[in-house]
Amino acid sequence: MKRKFVPWMFLLLPLILYTIWVIAPTIYTFYLSFTEWDGLTSPQFIGLENYKYLFDDPTFYKSLINNLKWLIIFLAFPVVVGLFLAMLLSQDIKWARGFKASIYSPMILAPVVIGLIWSWIYQPQGGLLNNTLTYIGLKSLTRGWLSNPETALYAVIGAAVWRHTGYVMLLFLAGLTSISPTVIEASKIDGASAWQRFRFIILPLLKPTTVIVIVITMIQSLRAFDFVSMMTRGGPFNSTNVLAFYMYSEAFRNYNMGYGAAIAVILFLIMFVFIALYLRQIRKGELE
Amino acid sequence: MNIKKIFVVMTIMVFVFAMTGLAVAKDTLVVNTYTSDPAPRKAMQELVVQYEELNPEVDVELNITAHEDFKKAIRVWLSSDNPPDVFSWFAGNRAEYFVDKGLIMDISDVWESENFYEKFPKAFQSISVFDGKAYFLPHNYYWWSVFYRESIFAEYGLEEPQTWEELLTLGETLKENGITPFAIGTKFRWTAAAWFDYLNLRINGHDFHMKLMHGEIPFTDERVADVFKKWKYLIENDFFVEDAAAYSWQEGLQFLSRGDAAMYLMGQFILDATSEEVSNDLNFFRFPIIDASVPVAEDLPTDGFMVPAKAPHPELAKDFIAFLGSVEGQRIFGEDLGRLVTNKDMSADIYDATTNKGRTMIEATDKLAQFYDRDMSPELADKTMNSLMEFWHNPANYKQIMEQMESHRQRFID
Repeated sequence: MKRKFVPWMFLLLPLILYTIWVIAPTIYTFYLSFTEWDGLTSPQFIGLENYKYLFDDPTFYKSLINNLKWLIIFLAFPVVVGLFLAMLLSQDIKWARGFKASIYSPMILAPVVIGLIWSWIYQPQGGLLNNTLTYIGLKSLTRGWLSNPETALYAVIGAAVWRHTGYVMLLFLAGLTSISPTVIEASKIDGASAWQRFRFIILPLLKPTTVIVIVITMIQSLRAFDFVSMMTRGGPFNSTNVLAFYMYSEAFRNYNMGYGAAIAVILFLIMFVFIALYLRQIRKGELE
Repeated sequence: MNIKKIFVVMTIMVFVFAMTGLAVAKDTLVVNTYTSDPAPRKAMQELVVQYEELNPEVDVELNITAHEDFKKAIRVWLSSDNPPDVFSWFAGNRAEYFVDKGLIMDISDVWESENFYEKFPKAFQSISVFDGKAYFLPHNYYWWSVFYRESIFAEYGLEEPQTWEELLTLGETLKENGITPFAIGTKFRWTAAAWFDYLNLRINGHDFHMKLMHGEIPFTDERVADVFKKWKYLIENDFFVEDAAAYSWQEGLQFLSRGDAAMYLMGQFILDATSEEVSNDLNFFRFPIIDASVPVAEDLPTDGFMVPAKAPHPELAKDFIAFLGSVEGQRIFGEDLGRLVTNKDMSADIYDATTNKGRTMIEATDKLAQFYDRDMSPELADKTMNSLMEFWHNPANYKQIMEQMESHRQRFID
């Protein structure tokens, strides 16, 4: 009896706060998604109208596709490059610590700051990127990176990749240290080549880390908001819009709170799949 | 000795408490504004100091919030039980929206007692009085026009163009000399909306424009196509700087400052945003006439003040409103900011030469509009401005753009 009572005492305060600040607003958002609300008067219940409108809204699909592109690029680049860097820097290389620190350093900057820096890099006139291209004789490649609807999304994702790679590297580095050196030692004695060692020893042992990295990367790319808001505000004409930003602009710029809530619900459902995967993996780790 | 010290300390403490007591006893008037740019911020602060000197028993708490944040916060304030007493706001659709929701206090008595019906030009009644009741105090306004570098015009012997053809010829001359005719930064879209406003006002006239803004005419109307055709010509013939969408309106100014571009269609506040050297070199002309049979209309965004329906100190708020409508309450905005003010009793001497030129231009104007996203419902404006950006990127597609704008309008009227 007493045993069960004590942990609840400890949990009570965080649980109350969590209910007020997270669970209740989430449920309220679900409710709002069935209403029409301008944020001033009281919400009007309109059933599934918002969702009907949503599935007929080209901007919604555009944003969803942009989120998917973001996801694919995020899985391809930061994860692979991060793993490569982690492998490289876990070796005995001169200055390894310095490299680690510098690759990780974008992570400690606020995304807003990174967005601002990259906006300058992408400036069509006098920006670092266009100036460099001109200098090395590739003037034909220069363009308004953020103003051209063909390149804008990739330019924004580029800035996000820059930040995310260091994070992935750090997670893999942590994963690598947990691999017992004796296993590596044994594989060397057995005459495995470097590639074989990586493919058949290290990679399987890194599996828990890899799963977590992939899930975090997925969540990161679905909740993308800050870079878009900072660099393009979803423009030019929605070519860089993503679900989180579309939700924000519908709810807080056009005051369609109900419609914004409906977008949030859809985003939540998509994310929920990945979050459930993540939690499952974590629980598995705990059981082991 | 020691007792003396204690006595001194106690006396001081008594005074301090008495003073705090006094401060609390003073009435506090809360004024929230969006005058966040450095120059308007200073003007607003000075205005408040001036009011406090005239009314020593009132203590004014001035809260200045950045433009965009203000627009979001105001909705929270207005629906809360403790709104500010007075807040700054935009004339036009945005003011009417809150009035319709019953969130704004009727200030007809102030208009009556201060005789604002006579003191302000008649045109301002249409944006302040709804259903016979006054809700808005128009305070100051600024004009839109084509600003240009005098030195560039002088160098190539150019004259201010009066007509569309003259503008096109002038543009060709500039281009031959390696200068882009128009600077612009369309990242935040409204600078492009200004072009739509002016082309439409000049080609189709004020009545058509206002009906279009209010969503009463379809965007697929042939007359809207005329606007896009003229605009398309300018874009396709490099009348605007390259990659305009990469710049905010202030970043677009660099082309003007460096002399790479000669003109900028902009509001009077462009003069606050440039260095003194450049702003001294800036002059302006009325957006050229396209069809001489169309009455001349201008965008004239008006800023003013309103009192929330639930304002905690309605009497103080109304007194402050009366002050804002008076000559004294408007002088600083005219003198220091170069804005035009609404009270007709204000002597023209307070304005500098540029502002007086703007005043003369406005007096010779037949009809007034506010601005694209002030005349139109903000949401429809937000959606259709995206279409304008798409048009800018691909002007040949204007027919599709018009259909897209129309589908937004359809959803809006539903």
